Amino acid sequence: MILQMSNIRKQFDGLEVLKDISFGVDSGEVVSIIGPSGSGKSTLLRCATFLETIDGGEIRYMGEAAARTDASGHAVYVSHSELRRFRSYYGLVFQQFNLFPHFSILRNLTDAPMEVQHRSREEAMETAMDLLRKMGIEDKADAYPYQLSGGQQQRVAIARALALKPEILFFDEPTSALDPELTGEVLKVIRQLAEENMTMVVVTHEMSFARAVSNRVLFMDGGVIVEQGSPEDVFGNPQEERTRRFLSVFER
Amino acid sequence: MTLDTMIITMSAGMLEAMKIFGLTLIGSLPFGMVIALLKKSRFAIVRGIISAYISIIRGTPLMLQLLAWYFGPYYLFGLNIGNWRFPALIVGFIVNYSAYFAEIYRGGIESIPVGQYEAAEVLGYTPTQTFMRIILPQVIKRIMPSVTNEVITLVKDTSLAFSLAYAEVFSLAKQISASQASFTPFVIAGVFYFVANYLVEFIMNRIEKSMDYYK
Ligand SMILES: Nc1ncnc2c1ncn2[C@@H]1O[C@H](COP(=O)(O)OP(=O)(O)OP(=O)(O)O)[C@@H](O)[C@H]1O
Ligand SMILES: [Mg+2]
Repeated sequence: MILQMSNIRKQFDGLEVLKDISFGVDSGEVVSIIGPSGSGKSTLLRCATFLETIDGGEIRYMGEAAARTDASGHAVYVSHSELRRFRSYYGLVFQQFNLFPHFSILRNLTDAPMEVQHRSREEAMETAMDLLRKMGIEDKADAYPYQLSGGQQQRVAIARALALKPEILFFDEPTSALDPELTGEVLKVIRQLAEENMTMVVVTHEMSFARAVSNRVLFMDGGVIVEQGSPEDVFGNPQEERTRRFLSVFER
Repeated sequence: MTLDTMIITMSAGMLEAMKIFGLTLIGSLPFGMVIALLKKSRFAIVRGIISAYISIIRGTPLMLQLLAWYFGPYYLFGLNIGNWRFPALIVGFIVNYSAYFAEIYRGGIESIPVGQYEAAEVLGYTPTQTFMRIILPQVIKRIMPSVTNEVITLVKDTSLAFSLAYAEVFSLAKQISASQASFTPFVIAGVFYFVANYLVEFIMNRIEKSMDYYK
């Protein structure tokens, strides 16, 4: 198991957003998370990436606990420096890209490997150029983020996350901020990563993409995982009424 | 007094004004950042003290503050500090300008989208690395126009040193004008300030341009 989240609870000022959620991700798996707005999908990813602290439950990466519930029922995390070590296990691609505007594209990809992981400049450069080639934007290495289209920026953001060589990559609606004609180029890159057996968790509203790419689909609603299974099962033969209702909106 | 002597005497005064200007910037640009960061302190007392400091500084005239720094030690504590005039001036200016720069920095820091912090955090940057490498460079670019304004005001504010009878260009202009019954010294002082600010604007423009490579 790359990631194991068990009995995760999270509330915002009394509002329970995650209610005892458990799920795991195996190496090479692509898991899609679907569900209506406000169901807690982003919050789940933000808890997995330590951007939010959980109230209860356990988060394990590579079998090692980063957070667990103590005897009093509260979640306790490992130390800050330990958490930073856990961060090297995963990458996160945001809906809004969040590239560093003052860094060139190349620098966006090399700065963290050099500053955080202390890789040599040569190695960082080589990895970065390989990734840019893979993303089809090697000619943009010296450009700045504002000079790129949204689709190109998102591909840079994916490359930036990959440059740190994570075990697992999280995506929070990676195409939602893009014009419809630009979503394809980003989805194609994610599909390509799936073919290379990159472990990924993708929150998405692109149902046909989720169906085509994932090994497993989780349907979330109201802070719980209502149903999960293979894409064929969840999309083709949903067991729960709430899943059927949600999916029917997309079929029309 | 010939025009030449006037100009030469007043040039020395302009040099004094530039000394106040330079020392104030060297002190207040970094100290303002310390204040801005303390204003975000975890401790409510620290935040309270900083807020009080900023509102007192902004709510009272700089001239009054300079007088307080100069006469305060004697009238409040009976202290007689030798050669206190110039240090009092510099302390007064630095304490004043730091408050204004702190507010500019704070505005700049708060204008950076939270996504920048989150991206940096997930990439594994430490909070210090995040601030120095990701946040601060963007803050500097955003606040340059406000900093330029403040720096130009500072050039003109150095004339307030006359309130402590410090011999910078404006005090000299007043003296010479009185003794020579002439308005010329004020014209000369005006030209000096204008030229100094012209230079300031030129330099600040260059700095702003050097950061134009991104948006
Ligand atoms: N920082 C926060 N403070 C308070 N409430 C929050 C916060 N973040 C999320 N919430 C609330 O938690 C609930 C779940 O939000 P979340 O963003 O996880 O939903 P989502 O499934 O990602 O929705 P969407 O599809 O719209 O992105 C919502 O009711 C939201 O208002
Ligand atoms: Mg969301």
